[in-house]
Amino acid sequence: MKDITKLIRRFVSILLLSMILVIVLNIIILVVISASQMSNASPYTTARETAEALQETEAGYVLSGDMTERLRRENAWAIYMDNNTLEVKWHTENLPETIPLRYTASDIARFTRGYIDGYPTYTGEAENGLVVVGYPKDRFWKHMSPSWDYDFIKNAPYTLLAVIGMNVFLIFLIYMIANSKLLKSVKPITNGIQALPSGEPVYVREKGLLSGLAAKINQTSDILQRQKRNLQRKETARANWISGVSHDIRTPLSMVMGYAGQIEDNESLPESERKKAGIIRQQSMKMKNLINDLNLASKLEYNMQPIHPKPVNLVAAARQSVVDFINLGMEEKYPIEWDTDEALTACVINGDKELLKRAIGNLITNSQTHNPDGCRISVRARKSDTEYQIIVEDNGIGVTDEKLEELRTAPHYMMSDSGTAGPRHGLGLLIVGQIVSAHKGTVSFDHGKQGGFSAVLSFPVPSDDHIQ
Amino acid sequence: MMEYDYLKHKKILITDDEADLLEMVTSILEQDGFKAIKTAGTVSEALHLCKEWKPDLAILDVMLPDGNGFSLFEQMRTFTEAPVLFLTARGEDEDKLTGLGLGADDYMVKPFLPKELSLRIGIILRRCYKGENPIVQLSGSQIDFDRAEVIKESARFPLTAKEHDILQALYRNAGRIVTIDQLCEAAWGENPYGYENSLMAHIRRIREKIEENPSKPVSLITVKGLGYKLVLAGK
Repeated sequence: MKDITKLIRRFVSILLLSMILVIVLNIIILVVISASQMSNASPYTTARETAEALQETEAGYVLSGDMTERLRRENAWAIYMDNNTLEVKWHTENLPETIPLRYTASDIARFTRGYIDGYPTYTGEAENGLVVVGYPKDRFWKHMSPSWDYDFIKNAPYTLLAVIGMNVFLIFLIYMIANSKLLKSVKPITNGIQALPSGEPVYVREKGLLSGLAAKINQTSDILQRQKRNLQRKETARANWISGVSHDIRTPLSMVMGYAGQIEDNESLPESERKKAGIIRQQSMKMKNLINDLNLASKLEYNMQPIHPKPVNLVAAARQSVVDFINLGMEEKYPIEWDTDEALTACVINGDKELLKRAIGNLITNSQTHNPDGCRISVRARKSDTEYQIIVEDNGIGVTDEKLEELRTAPHYMMSDSGTAGPRHGLGLLIVGQIVSAHKGTVSFDHGKQGGFSAVLSFPVPSDDHIQ
Repeated sequence: MMEYDYLKHKKILITDDEADLLEMVTSILEQDGFKAIKTAGTVSEALHLCKEWKPDLAILDVMLPDGNGFSLFEQMRTFTEAPVLFLTARGEDEDKLTGLGLGADDYMVKPFLPKELSLRIGIILRRCYKGENPIVQLSGSQIDFDRAEVIKESARFPLTAKEHDILQALYRNAGRIVTIDQLCEAAWGENPYGYENSLMAHIRRIREKIEENPSKPVSLITVKGLGYKLVLAGK
C-alpha cells in the first residue's frame, strides 16, 4: 500500500509540473513569434518615421533616400496631405491609381482606423499635414473597432487566472477519475504481488483492466504452491525414510546389544571373551545413538519435530544435563564442574525442555568423545541484559583453527548438495545448532580458555509477556 | 537387591511379534532371577493370558500383527491394574507421550541395555507393590514412607508432606544425583522458581531427622550447585 501512495504522489507531482511547464512554454512561444513578427518594425512606426523623413524644400516635398528604399522594400506607398486643404501634396511614385488625391474629414477618420480602397493604411503626423503609408492589401489585417468594456479590461488578469485555474482543475479531475479507476484495478494486483513471497496461496480476481496480470499472478501462486507441496512431499518422504530405517534397525540392534550385554555380564565366561562382548555392546550403543541422532536431525531439518514451547528454565535444563552425565558414573575420567553463580537460579525462555537438555547433553558428550584420555568439563549459565548463555567448555585436546573454521562455515553433509566427501562433523553438533536455532538462539564454537574446546549457546531474553 | 527377592516371584508377561526378541528378553529376565515368565506374539494371545494367568507386570510392544499395543493396554485396563512397560522400536516423543499419557508405568525404546530393562522393571515392581515395601535403610536411621516417619535410635520422627515428597524423589533415584529443580518440582509442582531457599530449609530439617550428625551428613549428600543424593545403607 505504501508503494501505491508513493506512486500517486509521484503521478500528481508530474502532472502539476507538466501543466506549469505547458503554460510557461505557451507564453514563451507567443512572445517569440510576436517578437519575430514585430522585428521589421510596426507599420505605425514606419508611418511616423516616414513623416519625420519628409522634408519640405524649395523644389517641393522630398523623402530621404533611406526611407524611400525602406518603403520600396515593403512594397508600401505613401502620401502627404496638407492640414488646410486636405489635398495630397506629395506621394511616392508607386501610388496605385485608385487612391484618391483629395480627402474629407470622414475619409480621414475611416482610413485612420482601416483602409483606403482595401489597402491597410497607417498615419504619421508631419509638419502641417499628415503622412499616410499604405501597404499591399494582403500585408496586414486591421481590427476596425478596437473597443472594450472598461471593466472587462480592468478584470482581465483575474478572468485570465480564473480560466487557467479552471482548466487546470478540469484536467486534474479528468486525470484523477481516470487514474482512480486504474489504481482500483492495480491495487489487488500489487496486493497479490506483495503476498506472493509469503508463500501463502494468493488469488486475485481476474476482472477489470488488468485481468491479464491478475491471471498471471494466480498462475504464479499456483506454481509456487505446487512446488512447495512437491518439496514438502519430498522432504517428508526423506524424513519418513530415515525414520523408517531407524525404526526397522532398532529390533535387530536390540538383539545385538541385549546378547552382548548378557555375555559381558556372564561371570562364568573368560575375562577376554567378556571384554569383546563389552566392545560389541559399546559399539551397538554408538550405532543406537547415531540412529537416534540421524532421525532427530532429519526431523528438525524438515520441521517435522514438533516443538512444544513451554516456559523452560535454562539453568535447570543445564543442571539436569550435568547431573545426567554425572549419574552415568564417568566422573573419574571426565570430572565435570557446575560453574554457575548460585544467585542465578532462573533463566526462563519459551522452549522444549527435552530438546534443550539434548543440546547441552550433546555438547558434554562431544567433549567426552573427542577426549578419549579424559578431560575436565565445565558447564556454566550466564545472564546479561539481552541474552542467556549456556557455556560448555573443556580442557582437552581442543581443535585446530582449520577444524574450527570448518565447524563454523561448512554445512553438514546432510544439508550439503556437494556430496558426502569433504569436510563434515558429527551429527551431535549439527543437532545442537538445529535445536538452538529452533529456539531463536545462536551457537558459537571457539577454543577453550584452558586449551580445549568451548561452545556457547545464546538465547535472547524474552520480554515478560512472551512467557505464559 | 537381596531385599527385593519377593519381587522375583512376580509373574511377567512379555508381548512382541519377534520371537527372537521374546527369547532374548526372557533370558535377560531369567538371568535376573525372575521365575514366572510367559510370552505372547499377538494381541489376542496377550489378552487371553492376561485373563487366565493374571500377570503382575506386562511388557508390551506397540506394533503387533493383530493390533497395536496402545489399544491392547486400554483393553487390559478394563479388567486389570497390573503395571505395564512399553518396549518398542517407536522412539518418537509423540509415541512416548501417548504411552505414558495412557497411564503406562514406563516406556523404553529399542535398542536397550539388558541392565536398564531389569533396573526399570525392578523400580516398577517396587513402586507398585510397595504395600510389601520394606522400610528404607539408611546408615543412621530408617524411613517408613507408608507412615511418613523416620525411625532413629528407636525414636519416631514424623515427616511433613513436603519432606515426604522430597525424600521420596531422592529415594526413587537413590544413589544418583537429583537436581535442585527436580526436588522443587516434586515438592511444589511444575515450574517452581525461587524455592531454592525453602528447599535448603527443608533439607536441613530432613537431615536433623535422618542423620546421626546433621552437620556432617552421610545419607543426604549435597552436590554443590547441582542437587542432592540419597545414599542407602551399605552402598
